[in-house]
Amino acid sequence: MQSIVHVCLAGLSAGMFIWLVASGLTLIFGVLGVLNFAHGSFYMLGAYFCFTVLRHLSANFWIGLLLGPLFVCAVGFIVERFFLRRVYHLALPYQLLLTFAFVLIFDNLVKIVWGAGSLSPPRLDIFGEAILIMGRKFPAYNLFIIAVGPLVAIGLWLMLERTWWGRIIRAASSDREMASALGVRVPILFTAVFVFGCWLGAIGGGLAAPYVGIMTPGMGDTIIIEAFIVAVIGGLGSLKGAFLGALIIGVLSAFGTRFFPTFDMFLIFILMAGVLLWRPQGLFGEAR
Amino acid sequence: MGKKGLNRREFLKLTGATGSMLAAGSMSGMAFPRNVWAATPAIKGPIKIGYQAIASGTLAGYGQFHKYGVEMAVEEVNAAGGIAGQKVEMEFRDSTTKADVAIENARYFVDSWGADFLAGVDSSGQALALAPIIEKLDRVLIVTHAATEKLTEEGVFKNGIKQIFRICSPTYQDGNAGAFVAKDLPAMKWATISPKYEYGFTCWKMFQDTLGKLKPGVSFIAESFAPFGTTDFFSHIGTIMDAKPDGLYSTEWAGELITFVKQAKEAGLFDKVKHVMFPVGAAMDVLEGLGKEMPDNVWISGRYFFRYPDNKTNNEWVARFRKRWNHYPAYVSETGYSSIYAIKAAVEKAGSKETKAVISALEGMEMDSPAGHRVFRKEDHQAMYEVPWGKTVSDPKYPFKVMGEQKVIPAKEFFNRPPFEGAGTKPPF
Amino acid sequence: MKNKSLFAALILVFLAALVAMPHLSGRFTVYLAMRFMILGIFAVGYNLLLGQTGLLSFGHGAFYAAGAYGMGFFWLHLSPHPLLGIGAGVAAAAVLALLIGFFCVRHTEIYFAMLTLAFGMMVFSLIWNAREITGGDDGLVGIMRDPVTFFGLGKIPIGKDAQYYYLVLFFFVLSVWVAHRIRISPFGLVLSGIRENARRTEFAGVPVRNYRLAVFVLSGAFAGLAGALEAMLQSNARPFMAHWTHSADPVLVSLLGGLHSLTGPLAGSLLFVAMREIVQRFTENWMLWFGIVLLIIILGFRGGVVGVVQNLVLRRRAEGEG
Repeated sequence: MQSIVHVCLAGLSAGMFIWLVASGLTLIFGVLGVLNFAHGSFYMLGAYFCFTVLRHLSANFWIGLLLGPLFVCAVGFIVERFFLRRVYHLALPYQLLLTFAFVLIFDNLVKIVWGAGSLSPPRLDIFGEAILIMGRKFPAYNLFIIAVGPLVAIGLWLMLERTWWGRIIRAASSDREMASALGVRVPILFTAVFVFGCWLGAIGGGLAAPYVGIMTPGMGDTIIIEAFIVAVIGGLGSLKGAFLGALIIGVLSAFGTRFFPTFDMFLIFILMAGVLLWRPQGLFGEAR
Repeated sequence: MGKKGLNRREFLKLTGATGSMLAAGSMSGMAFPRNVWAATPAIKGPIKIGYQAIASGTLAGYGQFHKYGVEMAVEEVNAAGGIAGQKVEMEFRDSTTKADVAIENARYFVDSWGADFLAGVDSSGQALALAPIIEKLDRVLIVTHAATEKLTEEGVFKNGIKQIFRICSPTYQDGNAGAFVAKDLPAMKWATISPKYEYGFTCWKMFQDTLGKLKPGVSFIAESFAPFGTTDFFSHIGTIMDAKPDGLYSTEWAGELITFVKQAKEAGLFDKVKHVMFPVGAAMDVLEGLGKEMPDNVWISGRYFFRYPDNKTNNEWVARFRKRWNHYPAYVSETGYSSIYAIKAAVEKAGSKETKAVISALEGMEMDSPAGHRVFRKEDHQAMYEVPWGKTVSDPKYPFKVMGEQKVIPAKEFFNRPPFEGAGTKPPF
Repeated sequence: MKNKSLFAALILVFLAALVAMPHLSGRFTVYLAMRFMILGIFAVGYNLLLGQTGLLSFGHGAFYAAGAYGMGFFWLHLSPHPLLGIGAGVAAAAVLALLIGFFCVRHTEIYFAMLTLAFGMMVFSLIWNAREITGGDDGLVGIMRDPVTFFGLGKIPIGKDAQYYYLVLFFFVLSVWVAHRIRISPFGLVLSGIRENARRTEFAGVPVRNYRLAVFVLSGAFAGLAGALEAMLQSNARPFMAHWTHSADPVLVSLLGGLHSLTGPLAGSLLFVAMREIVQRFTENWMLWFGIVLLIIILGFRGGVVGVVQNLVLRRRAEGEG
């Protein structure tokens, strides 16, 4: 029983880490219609900027988490305003490859600015020692993440459903032209949503860094695929889908690693393909 | 042989002196082996060495540390008159992790740049893919990191690709030597969390085979293999903790080992499993990355550890390295550094830079290096030298954990022996 | 028309240069030329799917790998005959493309892209984990180049790079020619129609899905050919060939060179191989510059290199006439 509980906990926290990254990716796809390969780079930049803030400005973890992503937002603004905006009307390959080009650029820039070696994010003592759950230790930090995930989800839901802002975003994402005709300044909206999505990705990176315990250039490359898979399985463009998808993938992977060791990315990709084939709007998305 | 430290003044004096001496066509009075050059025809310079290591992506730090060691060696060698009086030129390329890039680099070095020698290579897969190409290019390659025993057992010994030499310790250090250390530990039930690719599988198998022979009664009760790029080891840790082993063996390395240790600590793994072995845990990036978070009393090893051997050559080299680069040397720094000196020694011994002559010179060659005394075994071109396994302990001199109690097992007791197949080829002997 | 004969002349010059290359340049340039041609075969076949039919696949690396491993297994276990080995590789790739394509062509756009990515990574994972058969991440090593024989008559050695070069050149020219014929054939025109407006094409009575599957398999076969040729060039087959980042290569070079022409992917391949080699001599961070070049092309020169050249030529003609 103890193992099962701990596998679930491990799966939940892993899932929530992915959700934090996938949320931004999903929001950007849902509203702008662009699948942002470079989202992993914003995750990475989030981790690095938080680290820099902690190193040079303040050793307070929360301040780092507050300020670091702001720098990433600035980068995201530049990317959207001056580059991505020009390819919205173009065919899919151009959009995807533009974001792919940014992955190459950011991976190298990070190496040049912060160095090629791995960096150690500061140790997390804010939550104290690990907590004993059913006789085995589980890090308090991960419990925090398990709580943060749903909080972010609820926050996003509230914003989209209950605020004026959210209504505009929903309108623009379901019918860009109509929204524009109704007076919504769509380009500005897109920039705002993209920047917000980057912010989410950066927060994901800032939160993940102490858990992963190490930062390297290129650290976004694996997480982006996991985020893609989750977003697709949950339903591209559906935040609810991404959240539930992340939960499912997180827990499934944990169970798979624990009880079916040959379980690998292979089965996850089969799940991804299966969902795409039989329910392309994802397990929880609405038919588009 | 130019091993003494050179401060800036001496360096400049030497370069100036060397330059004028060379212009006069004779060797400088610095320490040169005997009088080889008077008798032999002059070797056409410069001596070009093409070096490749991973310099991008998550392992980019390794390439940087390779470069530190290699550049330092080239500077020293040139300051001391070069190789056989000829200047050494070194070009460095990013090998990435892909085999086709490694192959292209090797071809560029030899066919386009005119390299006389090749060195480097981090990944076992790359080394294996390079082997037939090296044979075709017919240049000596000194491997400084890739550890697969297949390279030397099959590539060199069985298939006769004589151009390949390996200066760093191979998987024998991880699997076999690890088993020798493990046999003296009270643990009887072993488990592993290892990387999910050939290196991880091979070392675990080797460890099991050897320990099984050394200590009948041990059992291997759990294993969990983590794919490349794993950032969340919790489920793997859970698998191991459920099995309740008393020994854990893990060939995780670099960033993943750092992540694993931090997460294992949170999960309380080190409270439950008393005997832990990390064959590549003594790598500088791991020790520095973990700092105080590396638990005590963990057995670690690597391809070289800067505190062993505790002799003048090594200690002075480490001091010079720190002065030059403001870092402690990683093991790839030492192997990269020594590869340059191995080439120097071989060329000067052979009196030629022709591949065939250098191969003959390198076979069986002995050399002193910061890592100790190395012998290149004739049959498989594998350098034999000792690297300690040590138990982690705090030391106020360093901001990271170091090896406390050490176990040094002579290489010939645990290196697989030719012909590598059949009875008597695998330890214990 | 003057344009056409100028173009034909250029092609002949290029071909002549390729044929003469081993006699004119060193071994490394010959090697680079082979890598260019193999990438070119991959890209020109892939562009039938992307540029012609408008389908973006991130899984074609799987067919490349199928070609390489197919050829490798054939050589290791069945027969050292190179042409048969290449045939085995191409067949393996085509069969795999049929299996995977059958599922993928049910969708388009982003869903198609994600599906192909998923299948491609499945193949990658399979190759990596089936260590007993495929050698895992060590790959298949030691694939050698035995002489080419035709039904026991004649023996053409291809062991040396300069000799193998001509085999690669042969397949390169063949591939480009086949791709050209497909592009201008009625089949190719239908593909263009599907790209322009799939729904209308369907209303015209065309079984769109079958056409998509057909071009998917064809492009997969080209990928398999490229994979088999690389396996013989490098003496190994590796799981990474099936990884999605490798599948991105033909997309990148087709975009670089120009999506809507036959020569676009070839120009892109040449630029890619040349850039990678030359920029590396100046900086280790060549990927950074490559990303920048990619950005510039996407933002400003969407016709790719070929588009730029065509515009220059057109402008010069307009100036001449005007």
